[in-house]
Amino acid sequence: MREPGETHAGGAAAVPFFRLDGVTKRFGGVVAVEDVVFDLWPGEVHALVGENGAGKSTLMKIVDGLYGPDEGMLEVGGEAVSFSSPREAEAAGIAMIPQELDLFPELSVAENLFVGRKRPRTRWGGLDWEAMQGEARTRLDALGVDLDATSTVKRLSAANQQIVAIARALVGEARAVIMDEPTSSLTEREASQLFGIIEDLTAEGVGVVYISHRLEEVFEISDRITVLRDGHHIETASASDLDVENLVRLMVGRPLHELFTRSASSPGEVALEVRGLTRDGEFEDVSFTLRRGEILGLAGLVGAGRTELAQSVFGIRPAESGEILVGGQEVRVRSPQGAMEKGIFYVPEERRSQGLVLPFSIKNNITLSILERISRFGFLPRSERQTAEGFAKELSIRGAKLSDPVGRLSGGNQQKVVVAKALAREPGVLLLDEPTRGVDVGAKSEIYRLMDDLAKEGKAILLISSELEEVLSMADRVLVMREGCISGEFGGGEATQENVMTAATGGRSGADGPGEKVSGNE
Amino acid sequence: MSEAGADRRGAGGTVFLRFLARPEAPALIFLVVLVAAFTLANERFLQVGNLESILTSVAVLGVIALAVNQVILCGEIDISTGSMLGLCAVTSGAVATSAGGLFLPLLAGVAVGALAGAVNGLLVTLGRIPSIIVTLGMLYALRGVILLVTGGTWITGIPNDTRVLGTGRVLGLGYPVIVLLLLFVVMEIVSRHSTWGRNVFAVGGNRRAARFAGLPIDRVRFLAFVLVGVFVGIASVVYLGRAGSVQTNTGAGLELQVVAAVVIGGTSISGGRGSSLAALTGAVLIGVILNGLVLLGVPGIWQDAVLGGLILLAVTTDVVRRRLVGDRA
Repeated sequence: MREPGETHAGGAAAVPFFRLDGVTKRFGGVVAVEDVVFDLWPGEVHALVGENGAGKSTLMKIVDGLYGPDEGMLEVGGEAVSFSSPREAEAAGIAMIPQELDLFPELSVAENLFVGRKRPRTRWGGLDWEAMQGEARTRLDALGVDLDATSTVKRLSAANQQIVAIARALVGEARAVIMDEPTSSLTEREASQLFGIIEDLTAEGVGVVYISHRLEEVFEISDRITVLRDGHHIETASASDLDVENLVRLMVGRPLHELFTRSASSPGEVALEVRGLTRDGEFEDVSFTLRRGEILGLAGLVGAGRTELAQSVFGIRPAESGEILVGGQEVRVRSPQGAMEKGIFYVPEERRSQGLVLPFSIKNNITLSILERISRFGFLPRSERQTAEGFAKELSIRGAKLSDPVGRLSGGNQQKVVVAKALAREPGVLLLDEPTRGVDVGAKSEIYRLMDDLAKEGKAILLISSELEEVLSMADRVLVMREGCISGEFGGGEATQENVMTAATGGRSGADGPGEKVSGNE
Repeated sequence: MSEAGADRRGAGGTVFLRFLARPEAPALIFLVVLVAAFTLANERFLQVGNLESILTSVAVLGVIALAVNQVILCGEIDISTGSMLGLCAVTSGAVATSAGGLFLPLLAGVAVGALAGAVNGLLVTLGRIPSIIVTLGMLYALRGVILLVTGGTWITGIPNDTRVLGTGRVLGLGYPVIVLLLLFVVMEIVSRHSTWGRNVFAVGGNRRAARFAGLPIDRVRFLAFVLVGVFVGIASVVYLGRAGSVQTNTGAGLELQVVAAVVIGGTSISGGRGSSLAALTGAVLIGVILNGLVLLGVPGIWQDAVLGGLILLAVTTDVVRRRLVGDRA
C-alpha cells in the first residue's frame, strides 16, 4: 500500500491530479452530496464506497462535468476548473466509465474507440479505417487483450466490453479513470483480468477512482478508501488501516445487525412454485418453491436474469415453457392483472420509471392498482382517501401531504409508496426487486422491518438484491442465478458471502459466456 | 378536474398560486386578456348575442376537442376527426332525409362514429401501430368512403325536426351551446370521479408504471378512441342542424383545429397532464380570436397565421413552465 503523495511511476507529484473541495450538490430540495472532500493522486487507486444513494455517482458526475457543483470547487492539477460537459473533463484528462457502459452496441470496437474524437482521415477526406483499426489494435494490445477491432461490440462478453470502454478512455489520453461498479456483471476470473489492467494503468501514473459494492475487491486493489454516507464525507483512510467490518460500520453508520430486522421464521405451506420456467435468452429451466412466511433471497450478478424471471412470474414477459403453481394449483399468468388475481405482486427495481406515476399525488399512486376493485359502477368511492391514509400511516410515509405530487417525497418514502401500492392489493406473494436501491439508511431499516412484519403475517417474499449483506441478513434461504440458470441454493446456515459469490460468478473456473447486452436488462 | 392534473396544492400555496399551477391557467388568463382587449377595441364584442354566437360557432369543435382531449391525455393522438365528422354527417344526414326526427339520425351518426373510433382503437392497441399513423390513414380512408358513398353529391333538405340540435333554443340558450356545456360537465365528472378517467391520466403519465400496476392500458386507450367517435357522432348532428346540408368536404381541416384547441388549452401533447376545462378553454379561445379578428376588420387571410402563432405560443409556454417548475410533473 502506498501513501498519497508518494512518488509514483508517473513522476513526482506535489499536488493531487484532481481535488474536490467542500462540494455540495442539490436536486430540487434533496441534497445529494454536501461538503464533500475527495482527491486523486497520479498512480493510485482510490476507492469510493457507500451504500446506494450515498452520493458516489453524483460526486463522480461532478468530476466528469455532467453536473456543476452548487457549492465548493473542483481543482485539476492545482487549478480551479469548472467543466460544463464530459467532453471538457476528457480534455483535462478525466474519463468516466459508467456502470451501464456508454458504448454503441451496433458499431465495431474500432469505431467505438473513436466516437466523438478526431478520427484519422485519408487523403481524400474520407475516414481512414485502416489507421483507426491499427490504432485500436495498438491500444488493445497495450491492455494485453486479444480482441478483434472489427467485431461489433454487442458480440463481446461483458468483460471485453468493459475493456473496450477502458481502451476508449485511454485513446482520449485519460490521466484519471473513474470506474463505476466495473465488476457488477463480471465473473471472478474476468474481474481479476480487469485488476491486472488497473495495475498496469497505475504503474504508468494513471489514477483510478474505483466505485464498488464488493468490499473484498476494494481491499484487494485500492490504496486509499473514501466512505460516503447519505451524501456526507465520512472517512478517507489508507486501505491498510481498515478492515471489512470497520468499513461496513462506516458505510452504514451503525453495526450491521442493527440495520436488519429478521425474526425467527417458521415457513408454512408452499405459496408459489415454479417448475422449469424458460424464456429464450433470458432464463432457462428455473425451478424453486416459496413458502408462506418465508423470505427467499435471489442473488446473482447484474444481467443474470433475476429481474426477467420475476417479471415473468408477474406476467409482464410470459415464459415460453414451464409451470407456475400458486397454492398448489397450476396457473397461467399472461398479464400483471392475471398475476394480481392470483395474489402475486411485483415491486419493480426502477422506482421512477416503473413504479410511480410521477405527476400523480401520493394518494393516487397508492390506490393505482385497486381502483377497479373499489369502484362502484365505474366511479371512485370517497373511501379511496381513507384507504390511502391507512397505508401511508402503516408504512409511515413522511414528508408531504397525500394530495402532493409523489415526486416531492425522498427516495425512501417514494419506495414506501410503491410498496403500499402493492400491499393495497393484499397479495400473498410479493416479488421485491432491489427494494432498497437508492434509499437512505433510515428508510432502509424501516423497509427491512416491514419485510419482516409481512413475513410474520404469512406473506411469501422473493427478495431480489445485489447487496449481499441484505440477502444474507434478511433471507431464510438464498437462491443464486448465473447466466439465466439457478446456480446454487443455500439454506440459512450455508449461505455465506463466499458461497453465494462463487455460485454467482461461477468461481475461479468461471467460463466467459458471451454477454449479449452492453447495458442493463431493460 | 382531477388531482391527476398535477396541481400543487398546499405547501403554503395561496388560492392564486394553486390556480396558476393548473394546466389550463395560462389559456384562461390569455382568454380574459383577449376578451378585455377586443371589448376595448369594439364594444359590440361583449354583447350577449356576440358571446353566444362565439360559443355556438365553436360547439362542434369543442365537443370533439373534449373527447380528443382524453386520447391526448392517454399519450396518444387522433387526427382522423375531420373525415370522421364528414362520414357521421353523411350518415345522419341520409337517415334524416329518409326517416326524419332527431333520435334516428343521432343514433346513426353515433353508431358510425363509434365504429370508426373502434377501428382506430383496435389498430392502436391490438395492432400496436402508432396512433398518429393509424389516424392519419383513417383520415384519408374515411374521406374516401364519403366520396364512394355519396358519389360526390351533396346531401340537402335536412328536415327541421332533425335540425333542432343546431337551431333550437331553450332557456335563452341555443342547443349547440347547451350540448357543449352538458358534455363538458359530463367529462369533468368522468375525469375526476371515474376509474376510467383516473386511468387515462395514469396511462398517459407513465404507461410502464400503469402496466406494472395491472391497469388495463389497452382497454383504457381503446375506450378513449371510441369516445371520440361517439362525440363526433353527436357533433355531426349539431353540424347538420347548423349547416342544413352535408358536402363531401365537410369537416376537412377540423382534425388539426381540434388538436390545436386541446394543446392551446393546456393539455400536454405528451399526455398525463391536462383537463376537460383546458380543451373547452382552447376551443373557446379559438372562437374568440376568429370572431375578434372579424370584428376588428382584420382580413380573413390572417386567420391561419394567428392560429399558428397561438399554437406555438401555447407549446412554448408549456416548455417554459416545465423548466421553471423544474420537473416534468
